[in-house]
Amino acid sequence: MSPWPRALSLRLALLFALVSTLVLGAIGFYLYQSLQKEIVWRDDQALLGRLERMRALLDDSDSIEVLRQRPHLYSNMLGNQESLLLMLDERQQVLIEINPTQLHIPPLPEADHVQLIDTTGAEPARLAWIHVQRDTQPVTLIAGKVLTERNQMLAAYRLKLGIALAAGALLAFLLGWLVSQRALRPVRRLAKRAAAIDVQHLYLRLDDEQQVSELRTLSRALNLMLARLEDGFAQLSRFSEDLAHEMRTPLSNLMGQTQQTLRRSRSEEEYQSLLASNQEEYERLARMIDSMLFLARTEQPQASVNLTRVDLHALVEQLCEYFEGMAEDSGMQLANQTEGWLLADEELLRRALANLIANALRYGEANSPISITSQQLEDRLEIGVHNLGTPIAAEHLPRLFERFYRCDPARAQTGDCGGLGLSIVRSILQLHGGRVRVNSSERGTWFVLVLPTNGVTPTAEAMTDPAQPGPTTR
Amino acid sequence: MRILVVEDEHKTADYLFKGLSESGYTVAVALNGLDGQHLIQEEEFDLIILDVMLPGMNGWQLLQTIRRTSQVPVLFLTARDAVEDRVKGLELGADDYLVKPFSFAELLARVRTLLRRAPARESSVFEVADLQLDLLRRRVTRQEERINLTNKEFALLHLLLSREGEVLSRTYIASQVWQMNFDSDTNVVDVAIRRLRAKVDDPYPIKLIQTVRGMGYVLEQPS
Repeated sequence: MSPWPRALSLRLALLFALVSTLVLGAIGFYLYQSLQKEIVWRDDQALLGRLERMRALLDDSDSIEVLRQRPHLYSNMLGNQESLLLMLDERQQVLIEINPTQLHIPPLPEADHVQLIDTTGAEPARLAWIHVQRDTQPVTLIAGKVLTERNQMLAAYRLKLGIALAAGALLAFLLGWLVSQRALRPVRRLAKRAAAIDVQHLYLRLDDEQQVSELRTLSRALNLMLARLEDGFAQLSRFSEDLAHEMRTPLSNLMGQTQQTLRRSRSEEEYQSLLASNQEEYERLARMIDSMLFLARTEQPQASVNLTRVDLHALVEQLCEYFEGMAEDSGMQLANQTEGWLLADEELLRRALANLIANALRYGEANSPISITSQQLEDRLEIGVHNLGTPIAAEHLPRLFERFYRCDPARAQTGDCGGLGLSIVRSILQLHGGRVRVNSSERGTWFVLVLPTNGVTPTAEAMTDPAQPGPTTR
Repeated sequence: MRILVVEDEHKTADYLFKGLSESGYTVAVALNGLDGQHLIQEEEFDLIILDVMLPGMNGWQLLQTIRRTSQVPVLFLTARDAVEDRVKGLELGADDYLVKPFSFAELLARVRTLLRRAPARESSVFEVADLQLDLLRRRVTRQEERINLTNKEFALLHLLLSREGEVLSRTYIASQVWQMNFDSDTNVVDVAIRRLRAKVDDPYPIKLIQTVRGMGYVLEQPS
C-alpha cells in the first residue's frame, strides 16, 4: 500500500508543507550561513586589530617591562571575559597574560605574519598570533576570543530558525489543506452529479460548461462514456424485449396447438403431427438459446479464439459442398473464388461464412450465382460473399448486424435463426479483431469480412502449396 | 444392458426412463445423488447417465466417488455448457457429456457408442436389403444396378449404413458428413437426404431411408 494518504486534499496539503519546508529551510540555511560568516569575519577583524595595536604598543614602548607595568594601556581594549591577550618570549615564557577564563593555549607554530586558528576543547576559542622581533628578542603575540558565547548565540538562533521552520510547515500544511479543500470543490460537485446518475437516469449528463478546464476534459470523457453506456443499455433493454418477443411466438404456437388438440380425443396421426410440430418449435427455441449463449460468450472480454493457419480455399470449398444441394434447389451456383491462407479460428470462421452463405441463399435471386471471393490487401484480408437480388434499403444497412433486427418483420422464416445470424457473424469478426461490412445496390448485396493480418501475409511457400488448388468455379 | 439415470428433474427422468426402456435397455432411476450412490454400491450398471445439478450430492461429487471404485462409462447431462464445465466433467473422468436441451436421438447415439466401446462396424462392405455399399471400391449398387453418387452423397449413405437402424439427428449428420459442428438453421441435411433418396430409394419399391419426425433419419429395412 502506498504511504500516501488517499484523500487528495490531504496529499496536496502534505505536498504544500513539504515544499514550504524545503524553501524555508533553504532560505534559513542561507541566512544562517551568511550571519555566521559575517560574525566570524568581524571577530577575526577584531583579533587582527588587537594584534596590530599590541604591535604598535610594543613599537612605541621602550621595553616589554614597561608594557607589563602599564597594563591599562591594553587592558581597556579587552574589557570582557571572553577576550584574551598573551605575549610570550622565545622560550614560551609568559610576558603578559590576560586570560580571564584560564584557557589553555596550545603550542603555536612560528609565523611571520598573522595566523588564525580555532582551538577545540572544553572552551573553544579563536586565536590569532604573530611573531615579532622586539629589538633582538623574538616575541609571540597572541590575541584570542573564547567562542562559548558566540556558539550559544548561534545555537539559539538555529533553534529559533528550526521552530520557525516547523511552524511554517505546519501553517503551509493547514493553509494548503484549506486551499485544496476549496480548490477540489468542483470535484465534489462532479462526484455529486455523477452519483445522481443511475440506471433510471442514464440520460443525465455532467455539465461541463462551468467546470475548471482540467475537469472539463474529465467530464467530457465521462459524458462520452455515459453516452456509450446509455446506448449499450438501450440496446440491451431492446434486446431483452426482442428476446422475450421472439420466444413468445414459438411458445404461443406450442401452447395454442397443444391446448387445441387436447380439447377432445384425436386420431393417432393427429397426435403425432402435433408432437412433430411441437418438436420443430422446440428446436427453434433451442437454436435461439444456443445462438444467444454463443453471442454472450463471444462478447465476453475474456473470450478467446483458437487461432490456426486456415486454408481459405479448402474451407470455402467445404462450405460450398455443404450448401450445394440447397443452391441447386433454387438454381443458384456457388462460386469459390478464394485463395490463400490466414490465421483464424477455423470453427468460428466456418460458422461466420456459413451464416453469410445461408443468408445469400435465402435472399438471393433464383438462378443467379453466389460468389465467395478473397482479396489480400496490405494489412488485411477481405472475404466477400456476393449475391444478386433485391437490394437492401439503405436505412436498414447500419442496423443489419443488430440482434433480432429484421428488415421486414413479416419476413421471419422458420429456417431463420431468429435474426441472430448476422450478429453472430459480427461477434466472430470482432473476436478476430476484424469487422464486417455490407453494401447493397442493384448490382447485388456484398457482405465483406475484414480480417486484420497484422502484416503477416501468407508466405510464398503457402501460396505455392501444391496441396492447394487454384481458384475454381463450379 | 443396465443403465442408471441419476436425474432430479422428474420429467427428464421420466422420459429418459421410457425412451431408454423402449430402446431395449434396463433402466434404474435415482432422483438424487445420495440415492444414486446407494444404487451404484448395491448394483452393477453398464452405463450411468448423470445430471450435474443434483440435490444432496452434485454430479461431480458423485462421479468422484464412482471413479474411486469403478470405470463404468459415465455420460454427463448438463444445462451449463461453458467450456470450463465440460473440461471439469471430462477431467473428473466422465466419458461424454450432453448439453441440455439435447435431442433424444443424440442421446441414444451416445449411449450406444459408450456401450459398444468398439468402433462402428469396420467392414468395408455394407448391405441392407438389396442395397450394397463397397467402401474400398467406392461403389453403390441396388438390385445389382450401379448408382452414381457424389462424394458427399456417398459419405452420407455410408454414415446411415454404418449406423443402420439408429436414428441420426440432423445436427449429428451435418457434423459427421460436412464437419459443421454448429446448428446451422438451414434445411441442408433434408435437401441432401432428399437428393440421396432420389438416387437410392425412389426408383425402387423398398424405401430404406426413413424420416423419423422430429428426430432425424434412419436407414433400415422396413418391417
